[in-house]
Amino acid sequence: MTNQARILVVDDEPQLTRVLRTGLKSRGYDVRAAADGLAGFEAFNDWHPDLVITDLAMPNVDGLELCRRLRAVSQVPIIVLSAKGEEKTKVEALDLGADDYVTKPFGIDELLARIRASLRRANAPAATEAMQTTLHSGDFHVDLDTRQITVRGKSIHLTPKEFDLLVYFIKHSGKVLTHRTLLAALWGGNYVEQNEYLRVFVGNLRKKIETDAASPRYILTEPWIGYRFDSGEP
Amino acid sequence: MQRSVLDQKWAGYVVAAVSVGALTLLLKIVGAHINAATVSLALLLNVLFIATRWGSLPALLASIVAMLCFNFFFLPPFSTFTIAATDNWIALLAFLITAVTAGQLSARAKRRAEEAEAGRHEIERLYAELRDAFERASHAEALRQSEKLKSALLDAVTHDLRTPLTSIKASVTTLLDEVRGRVDGEPPAGLDAESRVEMMEVIDEESDRLSRFINGLIELARIEAGELQLRRSWGAVDEIISAALSRAESITRNHRVELEVAKELPGVRVDERAVSEVVYTLVENAAKYSPKGSTIRITARRARDELIEMGVEDEGPGIQIDLRERVFDKFFRATRDGDVRSTQPAGTGMGLAIAKGLVEAHEGRIWIESGRNGKGTRVQFTLPTGDGDVIEERRYSAAAVETQ
Repeated sequence: MTNQARILVVDDEPQLTRVLRTGLKSRGYDVRAAADGLAGFEAFNDWHPDLVITDLAMPNVDGLELCRRLRAVSQVPIIVLSAKGEEKTKVEALDLGADDYVTKPFGIDELLARIRASLRRANAPAATEAMQTTLHSGDFHVDLDTRQITVRGKSIHLTPKEFDLLVYFIKHSGKVLTHRTLLAALWGGNYVEQNEYLRVFVGNLRKKIETDAASPRYILTEPWIGYRFDSGEP
Repeated sequence: MQRSVLDQKWAGYVVAAVSVGALTLLLKIVGAHINAATVSLALLLNVLFIATRWGSLPALLASIVAMLCFNFFFLPPFSTFTIAATDNWIALLAFLITAVTAGQLSARAKRRAEEAEAGRHEIERLYAELRDAFERASHAEALRQSEKLKSALLDAVTHDLRTPLTSIKASVTTLLDEVRGRVDGEPPAGLDAESRVEMMEVIDEESDRLSRFINGLIELARIEAGELQLRRSWGAVDEIISAALSRAESITRNHRVELEVAKELPGVRVDERAVSEVVYTLVENAAKYSPKGSTIRITARRARDELIEMGVEDEGPGIQIDLRERVFDKFFRATRDGDVRSTQPAGTGMGLAIAKGLVEAHEGRIWIESGRNGKGTRVQFTLPTGDGDVIEERRYSAAAVETQ
């Protein structure tokens, strides 16, 4: 059985690209590698991969610049390889449009899980969004017209902002969302530095949707970065 | 400053009364042939003195006492307080005005002086405070700089430890997955024999890389702490070079190695292991950063009387002039930090730093030049032959013979 999906690995560390190429190929993915952002962007234009895995610190064009260039031309899922201590760059990459990150050193399982999630999101039908009146994801049912939400079959009452926040989470289920991204999406560009706003709303939302707000299973905190929503979809 | 008894407020009044009394007595004793004007001037002088020293109130007392004494002893009718003539009233008035005016003036001058003193103290205090603040700030700045350097070094070290670790972890987990079988939602890893070997090769190579890095760190720390113990002995330059080359055999397999060693080079008194390490590092760098099939040239010649100059030259892309000093800094890598495009794995950034430490421990010098025809890189270093030491030693043994 093969996945057929095409993955471009961009890293200046030849040993790691060697491992990833072999490891991902053994899972049926079609893999190509590039040694820096410039070569990576060329390979992307040439080959049109389904997913890009990129390191952040690279000579010539680095990972951030690659994210920027890719987002200018494509919505291809991007997974960033980062190291502890690179939080700032990591957040920047996510703000620039990267979908997810894996912290070095990582097990191949973790990377494979992120690849699967990113590919699934990318392949989910999104074309009908404008017409869509209901959302369904895992434990959540949303009627966008009547603005009613049920969690695990139970109807819950949300304020308008909480409703918007939850719908945004559901629409971006599984993806790491930075504080900045959420604030800009919900409150607009003037509020991107107001992390405490977000914390309050997330706190309230957790009280209403989580079974145990102290150890949430839907709205997961990504320390220093933002949140990741898990709808409970198997 | 301690306050004397004379500085006390009451002392002014006592001195005022006593001094006027004493002066009057003195004037009385000196005789009646002194006229009233002289007496009054003398007493006024006394009032002035009191005023400047103790201020207007003691001076006022002095002036009243002086006026009374003047009136009683020197103005007719004598021995009464009656004042007959109008001009004597004027004299009394003069005493009073002098006392008050002089008192005020002296009080003001005193206040000014005190203010000036206080101002001086304030300036001194501000200056000290400013100096302290400045010292604290520069200390904090120095600390900040050293912290910055430390964190940069830490970043470099963690990066070099984590990079091989990442490849090892990814390889091992890939192999483990295959051994353990199916992972959730994922087809089983179909590793063929070749891929398995490749994964294990990566693990092997990357473990070696970690080990090399850690050895380098230890060597570097030893050099920096000045704990490098050179075991000097007489050796031949060509032997040192061939020891390094035989160690580097596997990495120079794809290059042509040329030797240009001058004939009849004097022996050198060095730590052979250390110098061989320097040559090995330079050859390794040359092989790493120059194309396959190109030539690596190793040279050795006598530069001056007591100096041997050795060099390793490659036909690679060369090192920019502005980076030629920095490549000797620890953890600096021209390939990464200088943005030179390369598909070769970056080094540890320690090789040249260690080489420099070893050369300098031998009182030698190491530097980088362009190779032949301005292309490639040539790393040159000098070593003292140790002839000076020989003379010293001979002298010493001669002296030892003489004393026997």
